[in-house]
Amino acid sequence: MRMMGKALGAVLMLAGLSLPAAAQDRLVIAGRDAGFAPALAKMVELYQAKNPNVKIERLELGGGPLYERLAVGAREKTAATDVAMLDDIWAPEFMARGWLTDLDSVGGLPGEFVKSAIDVSKHNGKLYAAPFVGNIAMFAYRKDLLAKHGFERPKTWSDVVKAAQVIQDKEQGVSGLVFRGIKGNPIVTSFLPVLWAHGGDVVTADGKAVLDTPEAEKALTQFLSFKALAPKGVETYNATELRDAIQQGRAAIAVEMWSSWAGTLDGNASKVANQVEVVASPGEVKGPAPMLGAWLLAIPADSPNKARAADFIRFVTSPENQKLIALETGNPPTLAALFNDKDLVAKYRWYPAQLEALNVAQARPRISQWARVETILGDYLQLALIGQMQPKQALTEANAQIARALSR
Amino acid sequence: MIRIIAAFGLCALSLIPLLWMVATSFKPPAEYVSTSIALWPQDPTLTHYRVLLDGGMWRLGLNSVVVALGTVGLSLLAGLPAAYALARFELPKRFDIVFLGFVLVIKLAPPIALAIPLYQVLRALGLLDTHLGLILANQILALPFAIWMLLGFVRDVPYSFEEAAMLDGAGFLKRLLEIVVPLLMPGLVATAVFVAIMSWNEFLFALLFIQTPSKFTLPAFIATLINEDETLWGRLSAMGLIASLPVLFAVGLVRRGLTREVSVDQH
Amino acid sequence: MIASRRLLPWLLLTPALLIFAGLTLYPLGRTLALSLFATDYGFENATFVGLENFRELWDSRFFRQAVTNTVVFTLVSTVLEVAAGLGLALLLNRAFPGRTLIMTLLLAPFVLSTMVVTAIWRAWFHFDLGFLNNLLRTVGLPGVPWLFDPNLALWSIVLVDVWQTAPFAFLIIFAGLRLIPQDVYEAARVDGAGPWRRFRDMTLPLLAPYLFVAALLRSVDSFKLFDKVYAMTGGGPGQATETVSMFVYRQGFRFFDIGLASAAAVVMIVVAGLLAVVYAASLLKGAGR
Repeated sequence: MRMMGKALGAVLMLAGLSLPAAAQDRLVIAGRDAGFAPALAKMVELYQAKNPNVKIERLELGGGPLYERLAVGAREKTAATDVAMLDDIWAPEFMARGWLTDLDSVGGLPGEFVKSAIDVSKHNGKLYAAPFVGNIAMFAYRKDLLAKHGFERPKTWSDVVKAAQVIQDKEQGVSGLVFRGIKGNPIVTSFLPVLWAHGGDVVTADGKAVLDTPEAEKALTQFLSFKALAPKGVETYNATELRDAIQQGRAAIAVEMWSSWAGTLDGNASKVANQVEVVASPGEVKGPAPMLGAWLLAIPADSPNKARAADFIRFVTSPENQKLIALETGNPPTLAALFNDKDLVAKYRWYPAQLEALNVAQARPRISQWARVETILGDYLQLALIGQMQPKQALTEANAQIARALSR
Repeated sequence: MIRIIAAFGLCALSLIPLLWMVATSFKPPAEYVSTSIALWPQDPTLTHYRVLLDGGMWRLGLNSVVVALGTVGLSLLAGLPAAYALARFELPKRFDIVFLGFVLVIKLAPPIALAIPLYQVLRALGLLDTHLGLILANQILALPFAIWMLLGFVRDVPYSFEEAAMLDGAGFLKRLLEIVVPLLMPGLVATAVFVAIMSWNEFLFALLFIQTPSKFTLPAFIATLINEDETLWGRLSAMGLIASLPVLFAVGLVRRGLTREVSVDQH
Repeated sequence: MIASRRLLPWLLLTPALLIFAGLTLYPLGRTLALSLFATDYGFENATFVGLENFRELWDSRFFRQAVTNTVVFTLVSTVLEVAAGLGLALLLNRAFPGRTLIMTLLLAPFVLSTMVVTAIWRAWFHFDLGFLNNLLRTVGLPGVPWLFDPNLALWSIVLVDVWQTAPFAFLIIFAGLRLIPQDVYEAARVDGAGPWRRFRDMTLPLLAPYLFVAALLRSVDSFKLFDKVYAMTGGGPGQATETVSMFVYRQGFRFFDIGLASAAAVVMIVVAGLLAVVYAASLLKGAGR
């Protein structure tokens, strides 16, 4: 018994030792996994080399888990994160609730950033985040395959369906198109360009749910027709699967191609080098509205190491490091000047077009409940996609749920 | 004969997933990102282990050890006296039945149902994101289990031994420590091993209550590896193997004890 | 001396009582209370809504789906696990060289961390490169969409659960089997009963209490299903693998709809309480025998 008591004492001491040491010069970075991870990993490596005494920890998470962790941490003021990587759609909630540090209070942020990306980083005129990855939803197609069957660049989603149908029928082992069908954020971001092109929307600027419209129903019906043209199992496709399908030549059209995925299209692993054209999304009854998908870096309000975190963020967003990230990992920069940089354009031929798209990019609804709205919409879109619900019913129910979420 | 072959065959079948994990942890990526069904690595490599060790994996293992030891220590310290009291004393108004019933409900209740208020309790105590907090939360799983198991073991210790000691004038603590605990040792060890395994594998509370990456336990870290980039199987397998070896070893220990008991039963 | 003798048991129970009071009794009460409010955190800024949260659960398509999935999963996996456990126990009932080794090895899946188990099986279920589909394609069969067919995903998770926890059912049933006295069989054999009749008329009835306990413990555990779904499907495709635990998690830790999450938690606790009563009754019955 006495021995057990001693053992317990020792354990409690060990546990005590790992309590947060606030005075320590540490930096805890919570960021995304997948294609984003190498960018932060590289930056941590370089920053650590310059600042050997800082204890850096880096966490890699998927989109959903990252949001959960950051939101819970911010609510509970756990002081567990110093640098948080945020999707631009989460930023309104984090800024409005006072969960982020005003960057001007910790030395400011130099640099000329792309306008749409800096816009989503501000709240009431104050800068709360640094644009880190200048992602934008583009559209991609195999110009060789489309030309072979007599198609030009598709101008509307109806054109896309037509071309995809012909290729699906005539090309052995090639699906007409591919999109991200897994529930949650991916299926919603695949659907939004189609919805917008039909003149529909999820939420109005003043925060009203508007999914129960004929426009939205037309958009969803068209979106569901994509499934028959996509590879089997598209319901579970995420970024990795979509990119593989295009690069291995298993699909002719990518309904969405984020610029950060496009980096390896011409690389060694690609079977379709220089055959994939990356352009702005098609329209339908309206012209295309390119969707912004910036990732930001911010300092949680409860971070005990704000000065260190700000220093790291300035390091990451410096011109030389933004260029390095783009060259080595394919994640597009956020500094406007870099899109016309000689080396970068040589490697990523679509960068000038991307800058234009970025300048007019449409951000997703800037409401603080977006994370919840997106989950609801994602759930219903997937129910419709796997055929368990009719489009109209899915939209009506989703709209009611979203209205309820917005009223809270 | 058929029985033996069937037994070995089934056993082999159920172990293939584990074999796959062991083998994959030594395969270079090109070998597992493929359509081959070869289990054994053709070109074995230690890269995945090296990556994990360089990434400070040992630290996470240590976290799991600290939490498991703490959970075991606390559940035995609180569970043994409770089990002793329930086994040896008449409690008024059938309190013992009420208490055991409550313990049973807790044992059977889904942890997620208590997670939200528990989060708020740990926060109020300032124990969020600490191993001590996780050790406390784990008591929800560990303490009911420890009390139930120890209750049986204490009842098996004949009271006459204690009565004899009492006639010799031995005080309560002396009796407990010098007579009951030594006789209870096998039971204590078995309980400790089971609680340790439970804590070692616990995922939900570690996911919810620990935020700082360097404080993660192994299962919480493994969950971050099972993500969008689906083909990190080499690293995942190496990680899984490291996390499994201590448990398999512990089961080997207890299992030997269990078989001995079973064989004693027969006679 | 008398006084201290009366106080002693309470003193001994104090640590456990303190832990239960702070970590379970208080949280239980708080969950119960919160389920009557609309709130995104605690009682500050909370609005009392009575049973509104429960009504909303009842109306919610996703909650009903989660309940259906949980019940189906619990029933099917329990039956399969007990059946597999019984089969294994019968198989290993007679001594043969290597039996101890086999029993130890069979237990391995059960003691692994569910996260490790999930990691393995998620790789195995991969449509293009997973081990299972590689096997199928090698013998000329088409790949199976294990996790992305909404009609199949839940059964895939059942498969993993059976693989992982059938050994537990086996342990309990095997213990029961060892306790059946051999002379019962001798008598039957003398009466000329064949193996099937001996199994049906003697083994099964004698084993019934153990089968029952194994089924009860397995169903209690299956009812909590969270880890596997969290890491394997996230509840998808659609709502095909959404469980009540996932529902509570999502409402509580993603949407911060604490009232609704607490209401769902109360439903879970009530079900767990009922199962506890059944279990307790069976334990008391066993003790009385």
